Amino acid sequence: MPNQIYDVIVIGTGAGGGMAIHTLCQAGAKVCALNASRRLNPSKDFRNHRKPYDMPFRGFGEPAKRKKWIGYMDNEYTEGIWEHEIVFTKAPGTEWTWRRCFAVGGKTNFWGRSSARFGDIDFRAASRDGYDVDWPITYAEIAPYYSRVERMIGVASTVQNRPSNPDGEYLPPMNFRCMDRILESGARKIGIPYLPDRIAQLTVPHAGHPACHYCANCTEGCDVGAFFSTPWFFLPAAEKSGNLDLRTNALCKNILVDENGRAKGAAYIDRNTKQEVEVYGKAVVLAASCVESARIVLNSKSRRWPDGIANSSGQAGRNLCDHLYGTTARGYFPQLLGQPSFPDNVSSSTVAWMPRWQNLENPRQERFIRGYSVYPDGGCGEFPWYFDEIEGFGGDYKRQIKRRYPTPVSFYIQAPTQRSDTNYVDIDPAVKDAYGIPAARLHFAWDRNSLLMWEHGKRSCEQLLRASGAEYLGSGPEPDMPGTSLHETGTLRMGNDPRRFVTNRFGQAHDVPNLYVCDASVFPNCTDKTTTISILAFTLRTAEYLLQNLKKG
Amino acid sequence: MANQGADRRAVLEMLAKAAAASQFPGFARWAFGQQPGARAATYKPAYFSAPEYHTIDILTGLIIPKDDSPGAQDAGVAEFIDFLAAHGEEEIQQPMRNGLKSLDATANKGYGVSFARLSQEQQTEVLKRLASDSFFRLIRRYTVMGYYTSRIGLAELDYPGLRFYTESPACPHTGDPEHRHLPPPKV
Repeated sequence: MPNQIYDVIVIGTGAGGGMAIHTLCQAGAKVCALNASRRLNPSKDFRNHRKPYDMPFRGFGEPAKRKKWIGYMDNEYTEGIWEHEIVFTKAPGTEWTWRRCFAVGGKTNFWGRSSARFGDIDFRAASRDGYDVDWPITYAEIAPYYSRVERMIGVASTVQNRPSNPDGEYLPPMNFRCMDRILESGARKIGIPYLPDRIAQLTVPHAGHPACHYCANCTEGCDVGAFFSTPWFFLPAAEKSGNLDLRTNALCKNILVDENGRAKGAAYIDRNTKQEVEVYGKAVVLAASCVESARIVLNSKSRRWPDGIANSSGQAGRNLCDHLYGTTARGYFPQLLGQPSFPDNVSSSTVAWMPRWQNLENPRQERFIRGYSVYPDGGCGEFPWYFDEIEGFGGDYKRQIKRRYPTPVSFYIQAPTQRSDTNYVDIDPAVKDAYGIPAARLHFAWDRNSLLMWEHGKRSCEQLLRASGAEYLGSGPEPDMPGTSLHETGTLRMGNDPRRFVTNRFGQAHDVPNLYVCDASVFPNCTDKTTTISILAFTLRTAEYLLQNLKKG
Repeated sequence: MANQGADRRAVLEMLAKAAAASQFPGFARWAFGQQPGARAATYKPAYFSAPEYHTIDILTGLIIPKDDSPGAQDAGVAEFIDFLAAHGEEEIQQPMRNGLKSLDATANKGYGVSFARLSQEQQTEVLKRLASDSFFRLIRRYTVMGYYTSRIGLAELDYPGLRFYTESPACPHTGDPEHRHLPPPKV
């Protein structure tokens, strides 16, 4: 059937795309979804239940392939899932590591699951400390959407009554492990909060999905669907509705415009045939993830939109923010030396966190503005990575490795960068991907504010280790490479003024009213919290707004 | 929990599937890493020469010996090292060869025979003298990698992951949050 006109074209099937598809299809809208790579087969592609000795290279990977891995998640367990063919480039001086999952479900297949709500302290941060702009939305407006999302996906946590972290509707929390009890005691002594994280991992069966069995390899994908991902939670129902046409290996090239400059569909490359295909819809939802969505916008040039569709403000691709990640401290607990192994590594999850405790009462209390959070990690892992810190060999060496096994502890900081004119995405004029689509080019460096947080985090975590009776062994030499967090925000950010912002408070493009953006690119800046649950909540709101507009015609 | 039953079955089925996957032919050569005693009696090294391989095997046994629990030789660590080298692990190709050569040179200088022909006490002495050497670090690193990723090595640590728990495992030491009064260590 040539030239079928769908109600909505959705570009991407991750958190934003998946939620948009789910909401639209349930409401009866006909949706064509484009996904840039293949479907995964959980029992084949998720090797989370394999032991190291079930893998030919014991999880260390084949040497030749290992050299091409992108970061720690691209490994022998998840081989073949991360995108290597679609290139991006880095401006001189920019460092950026970027593991992208283009498979159906995107990064929700492998996400970290930490799911704290944003609050007014985030939305009104500019009013508090004078830097940049407030969000065009209040917490009261978005709170009901967070509640609905939490009910859909299941988030385990407790009510914590903290000014930086609005509470939600939670499943029972995960239990604290030995290391959590010890750190909780230490944190109390020095006045740092140490609490159950908000984690989208099912501690009880929820919404037709089984409870977690705490096998510990969540980050290689869950083959029983005990944490939220769109292929487990949203896409099956959408496909069952009969309203979804999901096209895989469909790499979006650009958004198509009609003679009035409105969106009329999307052009994609079928990666199997290498042919360009067009699909048409009454509205387009862009949900390809922050940087990829900016790339699509900037590559969607027409007579009406010479700088990219909906980019009369010139802000598309600008305002790129990221989370600074890094190991602020590591050590071990002497009080646990030689104790039997505890199931401490279970879930390889953020069982606990230290939610932002800086600049709460007074926004200018610290040398930096805003704040960061910290995730603790440790316990009995799959591999004794501390082996090189022990001297010698022989029976004593073997015993020392065993003695240290339950004791390791480390901290990981999540610090937001602030927007700057020098952090942005544009299109590389000289480089195209394997399908002839111009590549995204990243311009990025840590800002002084986030580096001050890094220093502060290192001091705080060292102090916490010492207060907990642990041996302090140092910190990471520097933060992890930019891009590690996969929490990019800001490239199509929302605001009320069409001259300064690409999208409005509903994620709708100011210039092109039938173009909606449903990923973290609409977030005006980065916070101390992760992005996925907020992408889900904002998308739910945007998708319902879109449905109203569709009805109005 | 009332409806845990069905979920539990689903999960156990999935675990069984994963275990079955580990039996497919590509993984068969690691059988020695899984069951003590199942190790191939005559392994033909794919990268190293027979004498080199023999010395590597001895070294892994000195680094992680068999005592109350099986050691690196029981876990087939030398085979893992040879397999990696044969598949392009550059760090243990020439550097390992050079290291083995100088190890034999040291043994020859001190005792007039190659390292493999020394008594275990003499081998231990030679290795002690090399303990700050980059070759020692190298062979120790790959021995640890091979040993603690085998079934034997994970059992030695009592790795608690990849098991089925009905609840998120909780700290059992109630009443001792700082863990300062635990029973004396077993190890």
